[in-house]
Amino acid sequence: MYVCHCGLNIGAVVDVGAVTEYVKTLPGVVVAKESTYTCSDSGQWAIQEDIEKHNLSRVVVASCSPRMHGDTFMKTCEQAGLNPYLFEMVNIREQCSWVHTDKKEATEKAKDLIRMAVAKAWLLQPLERQKSPVHKSALVIGGGVAGIFSALYLANAGIKTYLVEKKPSIGGHMAQLDKTFPTLDCSLCILSPRMADVGKHENIELITYADIEDVSGYAGNFHVKVKKKPRYIIKDNCRLCGICTEKCPVSLLDEFNVGLKERKAIYIPFPQAVPNCYVIDSDHCLHITKGGCMLCEKNCPSEAIDFDQTAEDIEVDVGAIIVATGFQLYDATQKKEYGYGRYPNVITNMDFERLVGADGPTHGKVLRPSDEKPPQKIAFIQCVGSRDKQEGAEYCSRICCMATVKQATMLREKYPDADIYVYYTDMRTPGKGFEEFYQRGREQGIVFIRGKPGEIEEDENHNLIIISEDIDSGLILRNTLDLAVLACGLRPPEGIDQLARMLHLSRSPDGFIMEAHPKLRPAETAIPGVLLAGCVQFPKDIPDTVAQSGGAAAVAAELLTKEEIELSPVRASVDTDLCIGCGLCELLCDYGAVEVKRTDEGIKAQVVEVACQGCGVCAASCPRKAITIHHFTEDQLMAQVSGALVPEKVIS
Amino acid sequence: MKEFSPKIIGFMCNWCSYAGADLAGISRIKYAPNLRIIRVLCSGRVDPYIVLTAFEKGADGVLVAGCHPGDCHYISGNYQAEKKVKTTRKILKKAKIDERRLGLEWISAAEGQRFADVVNEFTALIKKLGPLQAEPQMVKAAKEEVADFRIRWLVGKEIDLLEKGNVYGEDVLQEEFDKVMDDIIGTQFLRNSILAALEENPMSAKELAEKLGVPTDSVVENLIQLKRGQKVRLIEDHPLRYEVSTW
Repeated sequence: MYVCHCGLNIGAVVDVGAVTEYVKTLPGVVVAKESTYTCSDSGQWAIQEDIEKHNLSRVVVASCSPRMHGDTFMKTCEQAGLNPYLFEMVNIREQCSWVHTDKKEATEKAKDLIRMAVAKAWLLQPLERQKSPVHKSALVIGGGVAGIFSALYLANAGIKTYLVEKKPSIGGHMAQLDKTFPTLDCSLCILSPRMADVGKHENIELITYADIEDVSGYAGNFHVKVKKKPRYIIKDNCRLCGICTEKCPVSLLDEFNVGLKERKAIYIPFPQAVPNCYVIDSDHCLHITKGGCMLCEKNCPSEAIDFDQTAEDIEVDVGAIIVATGFQLYDATQKKEYGYGRYPNVITNMDFERLVGADGPTHGKVLRPSDEKPPQKIAFIQCVGSRDKQEGAEYCSRICCMATVKQATMLREKYPDADIYVYYTDMRTPGKGFEEFYQRGREQGIVFIRGKPGEIEEDENHNLIIISEDIDSGLILRNTLDLAVLACGLRPPEGIDQLARMLHLSRSPDGFIMEAHPKLRPAETAIPGVLLAGCVQFPKDIPDTVAQSGGAAAVAAELLTKEEIELSPVRASVDTDLCIGCGLCELLCDYGAVEVKRTDEGIKAQVVEVACQGCGVCAASCPRKAITIHHFTEDQLMAQVSGALVPEKVIS
Repeated sequence: MKEFSPKIIGFMCNWCSYAGADLAGISRIKYAPNLRIIRVLCSGRVDPYIVLTAFEKGADGVLVAGCHPGDCHYISGNYQAEKKVKTTRKILKKAKIDERRLGLEWISAAEGQRFADVVNEFTALIKKLGPLQAEPQMVKAAKEEVADFRIRWLVGKEIDLLEKGNVYGEDVLQEEFDKVMDDIIGTQFLRNSILAALEENPMSAKELAEKLGVPTDSVVENLIQLKRGQKVRLIEDHPLRYEVSTW
């Protein structure tokens, strides 16, 4: 039995010495020691030494959460020859010293918690882990920069990778950007070669225009169902001549250009799209929605249109999954006081990217949307939908300050005489070359005003009036402008609810996917074999996204290069003497892990061990109480209850 | 007088509520120190029998917490937990234990503050209700009740019956189901109370009726059933008394 100080984390509130003395009085405790950092090398070594010296049959450590170091100490025991399931952990940090201030109460609670664990420890059974083969392939969900790099890292390491993207082309948000900060590299110039690599890589199977329908299984052994929507194009026949698009009578807002341009119902999302293949928008195609038309088919010179195509169901087995579904931009129409959607000259940062892009709606000219005149006075407004509790986002979106500096710098190049203002809360420049880039912006005469405008008003000429307080000077400023750009923050991506449920992933309070550990396991989730890359975990810039993609791919490769993985032995088992084959367990199991079968002993329930997840619903429901869950048996749980409530009878 | 400090047992699922409790710690949010947490993998693992054992051993309150509906790590374990708690509360009521002493909450891994709020509110409620002063025989009867085959079967079948109907393809309405369940709980509880009382010492039907505060004819009716099931037997003496079969 080891009681940890965790430096002052526990020791400052819980009287570790008194607790250790108390532990010595518990029956059966051979060794009771306190330790400054039990998880350190020396702390672990001391446990191993004691296991050998005293021939210990159970080890209990009272320290942090088992979610933190449970695995660490199980390994410690295993290395010393003690079955890891004979180890029990007591959480006296997260659930005691960190949440209580009264030293006496916290110390008493720590004693109680330890007594409960010791009571359970006596009833622990050694368990053996089963092994299961690993599918040496991976699934990457999302084809933005995170998904592209994750897939390339894996594929280059020789791992078969399925990249599933819901849109007709990969590329994501990065493909929509004109330039990147702080180097002003052309975004597509650096991304499109990598997109092309994905398209032709022998180890990558690119599945675009497709949704994940279902995921089952566990690390090393996931089974994934994908539904691929029909494009109505025979890719091999198509020569990309573009006649179909010319002839198509349906005009729609172009998503790639955030609605600032039109596209047809048969289209290629953008010139560098991968796969470079037309697609028919089935929600708007006249032939599909109303019948008739078929102008594209009639005019296609190479018989590449096929209206008989239907959705394709694809099923793949993979060992690991990388979730890289990115983000969605904050919907600026929510921020009513800034008038986006009502005032034509209020645009978002993404609108700006498309306006400034050479292939955008204005061929790279930034013009006032109301009269298409060059703007002379432009303002950027920071923290729109970020650092704003009322808008449901307390967090900083991390990229908007630098994106604004970049956009203001580009604007300065185009309009050397324009007045450019940035209304900011704090300028955040924590990145390589970021602060220098920001200072250059200041030197170029961009005016930075500290203060978030309360609202934007519009006059009869669609000029915008911003009244705000300059916090640095204390003056109230009234500014009449030609154009305002809202630096919208990043929100969790559309569809994240469904995906998180399908994969059993937790989400942070901000709505992004929660990582396994905020510092040490940022690319992993609590679910083994399911990893994270890019903004789906939290807003980040391109270099951080690429770095995390590499991290996720490395963790995936670590798993996928193993021949087999060990499965947790925390599973159900049936006492066939008690079982009467009623079948309730089979009905209640969501994993098909219990089957009622005719056996020599009669009709009995049987556990399918590889399918069982150990949840225990069957055990808690069995009318005959014939099922138990290893490591969470009724006796063990009862012992914990007794340990908490009947101190004198802790070990009977 | 010393302020009453309740003893509360918490069963927290590993993936949501236990993680929520850890997050409360990581965020250094303070809360009442009365809760003793037992980690389970899923709230659906919490067998009502263990809950009753906790009350039997002196817990003033039991708090079960799992993932939010739809977010269960094990797909639907939390829905089963909800049904178990619902029925256990009915049985607690029979045993004259305030059913609010058994709490059920959904707390996600991201809700550290909510975890602390829930613990504080539940602790305050139990403080208000005061120490559990239940009659041991009543608790014993309730414990037998949650181990009863028919009741466990019905609890497990509830969702399936309501969603898919019975084996005859008929729809089962919630009110109908509740009525069947309430009837069984009522009958079974009386029988368990009779058994618990007879275990103390043999009694006549009339004595039992007085002790349990129920009409003599319903005691007789259930004694006959218990005798038929060889749970009790008659002592051939005067007055006619029953005792628990011990074979």
